Amino acid sequence: MQERLSLYIQRDSWLHALNPLTKLSLTFAFILVGFLSPWYWTALVLVFAGILPLSFFGRVQREYFWTALRLLVPVAGFIFIMQALFLPVGTQELFRWLIFHPTRESLAQGFLTATRIFVMVSSFILFLLTTHPSEMMSDLTRRGLPGQFAYVIVSTLQIIPQMQAKAQTIIAAQRSRGLDTEGSYFKRIGALVPLVGPLVFGSLVEVEERAIAIEARGFTSTRQKTFLREIKDSPIDRTIRISLVGLVLLTLLAKLWR
Amino acid sequence: MNSIKKDFNTMTWVLIPVAIAINVAIGQIVVLLKLPVYLDSIGTVLVGVICGPWAGLLTGMLSNIIWGLAVDPNALPWFPVAGVIGLVAGICANLGLFKSWWKVLISGFFIALGAVISGTPISVYLYGGITASGSSFITAYLMQTGKGVVEAVLSTNFLVEPVDKISTALLAFAIIQGLSQRFVARFPRPENAQVEEGQGRTQLFIAIGAVVVLVLIAIFVIVPLLPK
Repeated sequence: MQERLSLYIQRDSWLHALNPLTKLSLTFAFILVGFLSPWYWTALVLVFAGILPLSFFGRVQREYFWTALRLLVPVAGFIFIMQALFLPVGTQELFRWLIFHPTRESLAQGFLTATRIFVMVSSFILFLLTTHPSEMMSDLTRRGLPGQFAYVIVSTLQIIPQMQAKAQTIIAAQRSRGLDTEGSYFKRIGALVPLVGPLVFGSLVEVEERAIAIEARGFTSTRQKTFLREIKDSPIDRTIRISLVGLVLLTLLAKLWR
Repeated sequence: MNSIKKDFNTMTWVLIPVAIAINVAIGQIVVLLKLPVYLDSIGTVLVGVICGPWAGLLTGMLSNIIWGLAVDPNALPWFPVAGVIGLVAGICANLGLFKSWWKVLISGFFIALGAVISGTPISVYLYGGITASGSSFITAYLMQTGKGVVEAVLSTNFLVEPVDKISTALLAFAIIQGLSQRFVARFPRPENAQVEEGQGRTQLFIAIGAVVVLVLIAIFVIVPLLPK
């Protein structure tokens, strides 16, 4: 079978064993607390006291570190620098150089946004590293998500790598016929059609066959479905979820009071 | 409610993953060709046209959610924008704006308008106006000249989005025209893609004129009305 598109790392850990919904609520709790909290330090504390230790618990700290470095540090750094330099807020100028005059407020605002983005993306990275996509989908389907959604998500994760491989083949084939993909601007626009055409038409042709195939397997059946794999949902999971909701509510209160 | 259900037949459910993969694959081809557009919602527009607005909405949202969940979580917060693109494309198609290619230009503009309106709050509240995309330099420049955050973000998006979304709509239209009628007829709304006959050149001028007027209206009428 083709490799799935996913960040998931198979490890035997306490975090992997948690119910997918618990990990999903953990992710959203981190994001909500990070964005709702009225203090500047919250997001940073969440990273160092929450997400980072959890990545050690999940035994994915190396992968977490590299994924965050690759996906997140450039983005958060860019946002911080741009906001610190260009946000026209505040009056206390730190220094003035050419057109740049960062103020204390713009620096603080840039720090706040960058750390919030950091929390948002890195809590998702942690979730994805420790949760298998089909496990998450079958748990959510068991809880009442329509089966069609699970089909769409799981099969998309399979189709995307196939499609990318197909795109690479088409690019190579057209180049070998002399298609110019690096020339002038108009040549490159012209190259779009012979690349996109075969890719799109080729993949759309399969749609009809696949529709017939899954209909023959009871895709549209409305009967109650059974599950091949049981996914654990322990009392610990439920306790964690309830306390996460409490944490978010407390943050909301703190925001309203200040 | 019943008509929504009719839009989601098995063909629609099977088309959605393929459309999402088309979004991703074409987006990457465009990056490879170093073109100054994204073109990462052609599949979404395609679904919106032949399966209706709600299917388009779902495709767009799932496209960004899946891409965010599997590859780059930075794409995740923008899922409402992608959804609006599919929704607007579907509504335009239902109104008959995908029946000839000069009308598609106008659809492209409306799609861009939807993307700008839905993207601005995310950009402003989540990122404080400056996001990770390259067009943030324009936003930063506008803010330096004394414009408010909302105004700067809106103006930037109005500069960037129409070109991208009009090309997207045109490409999606070209793809639908390339499909066989028998194939399109299996989807819930094949009538949206039926072509009208007409004489080309005058229509082209009408379309370009209409797009220019719409862009000017957007820049000079809507933007100044916004609260500073």
